Amino acid sequence: MIKKTLQRFYLIFIIILLYAPIITLMALSFNSSKSRAKWGGFTTKWYVRLFQDDQIMNALYTTLEIALLSALIATLLGTAGAIGIHAFRRKYRTLMMGVTNIPMLNADIVTGISLMLLFIAFRFSLGFSTILVAHITFNIPYVILSVMPRLKQTNINTYEAALDLGASPLYAFFKVVFPDILPGVSSGFLLAFTMSLDDFVITHFTKGPGVDTLSTKIYSEVRKGIRPEIYALSTIMFLSVLLLLVLVNIAPDEKEDRRKILSAATVRRHKISRFLLRKVIPATIIAVVTVGGIFYSLKSDRTGGDNQVIVYNWGEYLDPEAIEIFEEETGINVVYEEFETNEIMYPKIQSGAIAYDVVCPSDYMIERMIKNDLLAEINYDNIPNIKNIGDVYMEQSRQFDPDNKYSVPYLWGTVGILYNKKLVDEPIDSWSVLWDEKYKDSILMQDSVRDAFGVALKYLGYSLNSTDLDELTAAQKLLIEQKPLVQAYVVDQVRDKMIGNEAAIGVIYSGEAIYTQLENPDLEYVIPKEGSNIWIDSLVIPKNAKHKENAEAFINFICRPEIAKMNFDYITYSIPNDAGRELIEEPALRNSKIAFPDAKELERCETFKFLGDENDAVYNEMWREVKSR
Amino acid sequence: MSNKLIDIVNVSKSYGENLVLNDLNLYIRENEFLTLLGPSGCGKTTLLRILGGFESPNTGKVIFDGIDITELAPNKRQLNTVFQKYALFPNMTIADNIAFGLKIKGKSKSYIEDKIRYALKLVNLDGFDLRMPDSLSGGQQQRIAIARAIVNEPKVLLLDEPLGALDLKLRQDMQYELIRLKNELGITFVYVTHDQEEALTMSDTIVVMNQGNIQQIGTPEDIYNEPQNAFVADFIGESNIFSAIMVEDKLVKIQGVKFPCVDTGFGKNKPVDAVIRPEDVDLVKPKKGLMQGIVTSLIFKGVHYEMDVMANGYEWLVHSTDMFPVGTEVGIKVDPFDIQIMKKPESEDAEAVSIEE
Amino acid sequence: MKNKDRKVKRLLAGPYVIWAVGFIIIPLLMIFYYGLTDKEGYFTFINLAKITTPENLKSLGLALLLSLISTVICLILAYPLCMVLSNLKVNKSSFIVLIFILPMWMNFLLRTLAWQNLLERNGIINIVLGFFHLPALEIINTPYAIILGMVYDFLPFMVLPIYNVLSKIDKDLIAAARDLGANSVQTFLRIILPLSVPGIISGVTMVFVPALTTFVISDLLGGSKILLIGNVIEQEFKQGSNWNAGSGMSLVLMIFIIFSMALIAKYDKDGEGTAF
Repeated sequence: MIKKTLQRFYLIFIIILLYAPIITLMALSFNSSKSRAKWGGFTTKWYVRLFQDDQIMNALYTTLEIALLSALIATLLGTAGAIGIHAFRRKYRTLMMGVTNIPMLNADIVTGISLMLLFIAFRFSLGFSTILVAHITFNIPYVILSVMPRLKQTNINTYEAALDLGASPLYAFFKVVFPDILPGVSSGFLLAFTMSLDDFVITHFTKGPGVDTLSTKIYSEVRKGIRPEIYALSTIMFLSVLLLLVLVNIAPDEKEDRRKILSAATVRRHKISRFLLRKVIPATIIAVVTVGGIFYSLKSDRTGGDNQVIVYNWGEYLDPEAIEIFEEETGINVVYEEFETNEIMYPKIQSGAIAYDVVCPSDYMIERMIKNDLLAEINYDNIPNIKNIGDVYMEQSRQFDPDNKYSVPYLWGTVGILYNKKLVDEPIDSWSVLWDEKYKDSILMQDSVRDAFGVALKYLGYSLNSTDLDELTAAQKLLIEQKPLVQAYVVDQVRDKMIGNEAAIGVIYSGEAIYTQLENPDLEYVIPKEGSNIWIDSLVIPKNAKHKENAEAFINFICRPEIAKMNFDYITYSIPNDAGRELIEEPALRNSKIAFPDAKELERCETFKFLGDENDAVYNEMWREVKSR
Repeated sequence: MSNKLIDIVNVSKSYGENLVLNDLNLYIRENEFLTLLGPSGCGKTTLLRILGGFESPNTGKVIFDGIDITELAPNKRQLNTVFQKYALFPNMTIADNIAFGLKIKGKSKSYIEDKIRYALKLVNLDGFDLRMPDSLSGGQQQRIAIARAIVNEPKVLLLDEPLGALDLKLRQDMQYELIRLKNELGITFVYVTHDQEEALTMSDTIVVMNQGNIQQIGTPEDIYNEPQNAFVADFIGESNIFSAIMVEDKLVKIQGVKFPCVDTGFGKNKPVDAVIRPEDVDLVKPKKGLMQGIVTSLIFKGVHYEMDVMANGYEWLVHSTDMFPVGTEVGIKVDPFDIQIMKKPESEDAEAVSIEE
Repeated sequence: MKNKDRKVKRLLAGPYVIWAVGFIIIPLLMIFYYGLTDKEGYFTFINLAKITTPENLKSLGLALLLSLISTVICLILAYPLCMVLSNLKVNKSSFIVLIFILPMWMNFLLRTLAWQNLLERNGIINIVLGFFHLPALEIINTPYAIILGMVYDFLPFMVLPIYNVLSKIDKDLIAAARDLGANSVQTFLRIILPLSVPGIISGVTMVFVPALTTFVISDLLGGSKILLIGNVIEQEFKQGSNWNAGSGMSLVLMIFIIFSMALIAKYDKDGEGTAF
């Protein structure tokens, strides 16, 4: 008795453990507040928005398409392969089975990297097809390993009996052997489908711009703060799988029908419900998926059509509505990719693996790109709207782009401290608070080498462009000392965490600060007295861009006053577009000291400069040491 | 008369709606070779498992040597089981398999070694100690399974259709082996089988079961010669079963012909079942017989000829050392002593089950 | 006839063999190439040596430690679970087993992220604890959170093979052991456990390798404060451009993987794969 209760208890315990996170996600999908930290009331709007969100729908269909296609092809290749290998001599069979086991046992990351290296070395441009090839590659082993045991079990006698009765080998195969191994083939297919659906790591390495599966989309969103539409989507996915499972299991068992003596009517009823549940519903789903997939891929036209512009921008840095308006007005398809830090973006441009048309680097990065001859000169005849950009910003741009030949200012701001009035004792005015033991585990630092070192250097009274080894070592020492006090190194997540009162103090960009204040009035922003960083992010066109004119049209579009203003409303980052600034309705925002600080505050601020590859390497090395301590 | 070792009292067992054992009462004597005999699904294996402790009855008790062991765990009972599929532990050598129960009991190493040697000799598998189970043939595995059980010196050995997977010759050899073992070791054997020949060969007592009920208990001769109902008659040996009418004591009308017999007490002009064994049918010249018929089939069986004789609307099965070719007219004679009269079944349970399962 | 038959069958494997060579063997060779050469293409061991720098050794050591702990925890959690599951009545069992596998169908990133939700300072768990005036749980962004993430994500991979093996154990063997006098503990130690070893080996490998090389879990639950070897390698490829160093370290990692392959081959002589 006790044993049974213990058993039940244990089962339930594990079930709770397994499902608690899932229930959380499902609950969040009904949360009307965008932020994960607050509950804003019950709503189903995210489910509605889900189906209107092109990006997510695209990712969903890409995922389903790839899963279906790769599973099918893998099943074909794998089944044929299994049959063939089964007929090999023992030596070769062991060899091939060993090779087959490699993708399964190898770490995802190694498989992904090896494929990426292959594709780039042989100049296959990364995109949908490379993802497909990669998925097929890791799916085939699952198929083979499902079919092989069935092959071994099949009675050789049935095949020979068929031959004896006059069947040709081919006929015998399809009529006798194949149905016998069919369970193995179908379970192999299902397994491949499942593995493909859920894959992240391998897709992460083998995908190209504009192509996202659900997993990679979610990953890119995670750093920023997930959109609740994704919660809604995952709830739907989970519930539909659950439903399928339930249906398949309550379908009356064939075996039972044979054992019990049921009336003919009952048997027929069972047959019909079995047919419905096991054949019709899955078939319908596959049909819907395929049709939907074709529909969506035609609609988004990502494979064909050269009238596109590939934009590489920071995360949450452009109002999606603006993209829609641009596409409608010009008919140019916008392929949009996002990056998190300059340091992640740069190697991609440098290696030329992908040819972007418009990129949005920061000031010092632009300097580096110019020095390394990675940028194309902009034809300002195609960008008349540049007149809307304030002179002071064009002047400031000359620090990194002398002669203003390569860049058009997009957004600007400062770096400062965001603090929660309720969680700190006194008003903050210095970087020193980030080293205050009082706030242990309540401090958020930026996960970016220049920003982190910038804070430390400024605090020590040095320039944040220092290349002096002593100064840098001192700054590194400070950062290492600080590490135990830091709750986390984050980028865009500072926002959500500060809103959610998870941390008391965070280093943040001025643009984010405004947004957080709107969501949580306890938050204050300050530029410390030791000085800080002032930055500009500008739009540039890489030299290897394929659609230069479309790029310029895009940049021109961004410089429209109403578009700039729309952006400001959405992102709350300071715009260099004076005409756009005029259009901001709310005076508090239009004249915000945070968004548009006056000259006096800016005196203490420096722009980042490009320090040269060698110094960059030193910074990177030191930063890595800090992170790994 | 040896005493009762096991007493099964009012035992019933159901699986869901399925009643597998219906209020059984049975006792098993010490040193007896008792066979539970019946078709698949009659409940014999379930009863065995209840004895072994792997199932609990829904109602009733199992008394072992005066103690109620109904709820006792299997590892605490003084019975050992030989499983149908041998159940040798695949991860252990033969020696370790045999030694398993002894090691649990904590016997000394030398004791165990002696016992292993003794057991292997007993089943004629000397030298197999270090072999692994999967390298043995079915018959060898079966013998090891038996060895493994008996080294523990149980009072009772339960055997669940142990010879089912063996070929005929081996089966017959093993049957003799088992009887020899029983006599040598003095253990009570409870044996489950659906093979009536096996039961007749080895048992002291046979319990015929059908659909959860005991149909008849008796010695092999009793069961064979004097089946108490049509089911038993049909199940044991081959027989001719007639729906007959008891005219009066010692006279029965079969297929319209009156046959003198030796049974009494069945009433006057009452419907009864009559059983005549094929080997008890005498084929004589037509005029000399009580009934006349024609031979419709003749097969040589080695031990005897098997013939079908169509007479008075019934196809008689006849075993005889005399041969009559197909088409011969013959007369049928039966010694009164060889006609067994049985009551007609009163309920469904006792009805004869069809041969096709 | 039979030989010709065989030859035709062997041809069937042709497409797969070509695919395998092209997309499994050659990419691996590429890693070897990058790992053993420097930027100019000269043979060198410097990339392999890269893993011996203090930070990288630390990330490797930490990854080893965390994945070992997670694997053990997975085993401890999964084994009793599988024992309970394999003893259930036959017609219900497959459904209930699926209940435990079902979370696998939810996107792996989201599940991991959901834990972040639960574990945060003002996350759900702490809200509940606070309600009962219990001390808050502060394991987010620590190695403990990463262990939790690993266990949660990989538990199904430990459950499946062990359940498979346990459910295939002939019930008669257990009955025989009990019949011969063994109590539950003895039956478990002498019969069930030894027979379940292939499943355990399979499960351990299926958990240990992904846990060792993950970068997503440490990313999401470690607050970017904790770098595992997976993070280091991923960053070399995605953020830095030193693919040689990244490949070198991957090669070292593969040693662990080859080791587990050898282990599997030892227990799986038929070449069948015990997971299915």
